[in-house]
Amino acid sequence: MIETKHIDFYYGAFHALKDVSIRIEPHTVTAFIGPSGCGKSTFLRLFNRMNDLIDGVRLTGECIVDGVNIYNKSVQVDDLRKKVGMVFQKPNPFPKSIFENVAYGLRVNDVQNKAFITQRVEESLKSAALWEEVKDKLKKSAFELSGGQQQRLCIARALAVSPSILLMDEPASALDPISTSKIEELIHVLKQEYTIVIVTHNMQQAARVSDRTGFFMLGELVEYSDTKKMFLNPEKVETQNYITGRFG
Amino acid sequence: MQGLFALSGSVTSLAIILIIIFLFKEGLGLFRSSQIEKGYVLAVNVSNPVGALDSRQIKEIFDYAYTNWAEIGGKDAEIIPFRFEEIFSIYDETELGNDYELLPGKLGELIASEPNILAFLPERYAPKENADVRILPLRTISPRSFFGGIEWMPTATPAAQFGVFPLIMGTLWVSFFAILIALPLGLGVAIYLSELADERMRKLLKPAIELLAGIPSVVYGFFGLVVLVPLIQRALNLPVGETALAGSLILAIMALPTIITIAEDAMRATPKAMREASLALGATHWQTIYRVIVPYASSGIMAAVVLGIGRAIGETMAVLMVTGNAAVMPRSMFESVRTIPATIAAELGEAPSGGTHYQSLFLLGCILFLITMVVSISAEIISKQPINKGL
Repeated sequence: MIETKHIDFYYGAFHALKDVSIRIEPHTVTAFIGPSGCGKSTFLRLFNRMNDLIDGVRLTGECIVDGVNIYNKSVQVDDLRKKVGMVFQKPNPFPKSIFENVAYGLRVNDVQNKAFITQRVEESLKSAALWEEVKDKLKKSAFELSGGQQQRLCIARALAVSPSILLMDEPASALDPISTSKIEELIHVLKQEYTIVIVTHNMQQAARVSDRTGFFMLGELVEYSDTKKMFLNPEKVETQNYITGRFG
Repeated sequence: MQGLFALSGSVTSLAIILIIIFLFKEGLGLFRSSQIEKGYVLAVNVSNPVGALDSRQIKEIFDYAYTNWAEIGGKDAEIIPFRFEEIFSIYDETELGNDYELLPGKLGELIASEPNILAFLPERYAPKENADVRILPLRTISPRSFFGGIEWMPTATPAAQFGVFPLIMGTLWVSFFAILIALPLGLGVAIYLSELADERMRKLLKPAIELLAGIPSVVYGFFGLVVLVPLIQRALNLPVGETALAGSLILAIMALPTIITIAEDAMRATPKAMREASLALGATHWQTIYRVIVPYASSGIMAAVVLGIGRAIGETMAVLMVTGNAAVMPRSMFESVRTIPATIAAELGEAPSGGTHYQSLFLLGCILFLITMVVSISAEIISKQPINKGL
């Protein structure tokens, strides 16, 4: 479970997130939508502390994952990131073999047991619906796969370390429609086991895959409710304008 | 306008090709030169069955290292080496005639009377008509004695020794240890600059390191001679401080800016997505550095190393000043060695133009050219390798 309380976030002097409070239930798909620069990606990246990599950022408020404020000094960032996996906008496999890409998270976790690694790689590739396509060429470079396959490989790579939460930052925006629909099907299956938070530009996609949707604008969480309600009967006029395409 | 550029391009290429042709033409002339000094011959008594000698045997005889003809495949008798100048201690100048016209006759008598003599004579005074004298056939300098020889005595008489093996080994030896020192250090600094240092530190250090590349090599040599050499001598309690170690250290310092700059650029060129992917999987910063960034930048790092080697192999002045320049096979880091560029720089001024010594130095230049060409070509190949190979 993820919960934030009164999050304010600054890039230097720029106030990127304004008093955002949200509650995300386990085994649901939550989508964040909103115009470019509204803070939805920034918000997503708070949950695995990817924003720590940027210089000159400042955060106030609480971000609680499984009962712990992850910005406490006692929290180890690398442990947190094993629990909270992430898939990025562009497929970013390592310049390694398909097998080594998936095994990477285990290797940096000091897993030595070869049988376990092999089993975990297979399970993860199956979970990511990629096993059938790559089982005969695990030793081949990941760069030989198509863009859609690469993105599913990145999902498998994230699943291999057994996270409980999966963050997806516009995972299909660089893909063709067929690959996109495969990813969306995958999200449906994965939510049985994982809590998924997805940022998307594509409102139809949000409507298709998510249980709940949050609409961001200018750093504020304007509206957050069940996806159906949000798209059929939004409460706020800004949401209404955005989803009917009047701006953004 | 376009024609002008095309012209300058072709003139430059032509000039480079002509320089290379000139280098090889002069150098390869060595193998057509006689093994003993020009204008001289070796003569023996007609009863001596010995055939052509090689230049090493000739040198050893006149150094009294070989004393018996049996050692070089002749009969069992003592060798009596005879240098032309010695004739003046046997005969008075007046006995040789006004124009030395009697000299060949006297030399002929001497050789005829001494069956075990090996005489080194100017060709114009050689007693060729004397039936008791046999002029030895002469060989040209062989490639084998050049590349495989271990003695570099280019001005020795009667037979100069052109064994370049110690010089090639000296060059490789000094360069190898220079890279051994510079590589871990350079890589460490590159990792620090690209991954760990904050922006202010980087802005301070990077120009400082790049400045190092601009210091003239003679200044490095001077620094080495005044600071490093005495330091090594005292610290290691050596008889002399001018050692291969001093050369390697100076070369390492000189190669560092190249290695650091190129390796750092390669590591910084690793896409942000690669770092994020690794960190998002729970890898620590260090794991990300050695599992993702260094492998990703490996071709750039290899190029840095090879260019560093190239710099080290071709470096002349600094090495000349600190290595002591003894042309012997390198056995340890704490002895003098001599490198190819240092040899050329030190000796070309003294070598008579067109002579064997002069030609041998050009041939050394050819060897150096070939070594650096191999290095540059491998740099080219390595840096063009796709990054996903070999991981």
